[in-house]
Amino acid sequence: MNTIDIKINERSLKVLPGITILQACRDNGIDILTMCHLKGLSDVGACRLCLVEIEGINKLLSACTTRVASNMVIRTDTEKIKRYQRITTELFFAERNHVCSVCVANGNCELQELGYKVGMDHIRYPFLFPECKVDTSHQYFVMDHNRCIMCTRCVRACSEVEGAFNWDVKNRGFQVRVISDFDTPWGESITCTSCGKCLQACPTGALWSKDVVQGQLEKHPEMITELVEKRKLLLT
Amino acid sequence: MNNELPATDPRVKLLAAKIKKENFKPDALIEILHSAQNSYGYLPMNVLAYIAKALHLPPSRIYSTVTFYHFFSLKSKGEHTCLVCTGTACYVKGAQAILNELEKKTGLKAGQVSADNKLGVQVARCIGACGLAPVVVLDDEVQAKVTTDEIINKIIDKIGTK
Repeated sequence: MNTIDIKINERSLKVLPGITILQACRDNGIDILTMCHLKGLSDVGACRLCLVEIEGINKLLSACTTRVASNMVIRTDTEKIKRYQRITTELFFAERNHVCSVCVANGNCELQELGYKVGMDHIRYPFLFPECKVDTSHQYFVMDHNRCIMCTRCVRACSEVEGAFNWDVKNRGFQVRVISDFDTPWGESITCTSCGKCLQACPTGALWSKDVVQGQLEKHPEMITELVEKRKLLLT
Repeated sequence: MNNELPATDPRVKLLAAKIKKENFKPDALIEILHSAQNSYGYLPMNVLAYIAKALHLPPSRIYSTVTFYHFFSLKSKGEHTCLVCTGTACYVKGAQAILNELEKKTGLKAGQVSADNKLGVQVARCIGACGLAPVVVLDDEVQAKVTTDEIINKIIDKIGTK
């Protein structure tokens, strides 16, 4: 099989052409922080955590949406990248209300883990805390917009894996919110199949099931990856 | 919610014709929304539901498209619209004073529509006619180098009272 030569953090690697930098890193045991990436779903480059430096390009590029090219020289561990990751993480916490102690996902949250990983001990930015709704209209599930970081993993899981297209994003910029149908309450959605895939895809405590109590939420985003893998069996 | 659009409404006929002309293609969503907004003045919910059904598009995608573009509006902008340009050139020429006076006289803030749906007041950043500053657009008609009194009189001509 054809391979191409690339260099990541001074390590010479042979990788398949056409894969993303993120995939090349993960395949070779190089850790890259991500939030909006979920294996099996399409990549959108929304969270800006997987930024990498590429020699010859003077801006940082997201590893999940940039494909490898031969003789690419990539760095994932420079001080600049670490600084940016810290900033991005703080901005996640500064926008909406992420108070872990009263969150269902406490102890089982990718955002919380991210905070530990980048060593966030305080937040240098003013908190915005926009007024957000908690949608409890669904029979089994809850959408708490206060915990949402707009990674859109639920949107992609719903459309790409379940095919229901219940979720999408309204407005733009600071006003963006995840919506169900015509911004109707989730419980009145005519497209939702109540499959719960969005819950598994969600990295934070924004989507959860009504039968869990605070701090007891368990998430299995790898379920989505498994589903996508198993779907391929149908085609062979 | 009553989703059915009256088939006798000429606006519905226009919309149906547009959808047919675009061959029911989902990629023509934006063109179809444009056409609907032109005939209705805004995009009512039952029109969006009608389009969703005709194009086999998920409601969430249509809603996200409509809210992404500032051109599309989910609320009525009023039968008559008065848009005050507050771009740099118009601002220097006193657009803010015109807007303040207008808001005082009509009792409407920018972005609001009067209770009887007769008049809507809006602002725009720049409409690209800086040589004509200060500019006000009344029902898609550009009024150049306006004064507050001129505008108020023209509005009274259009809507009759107030």
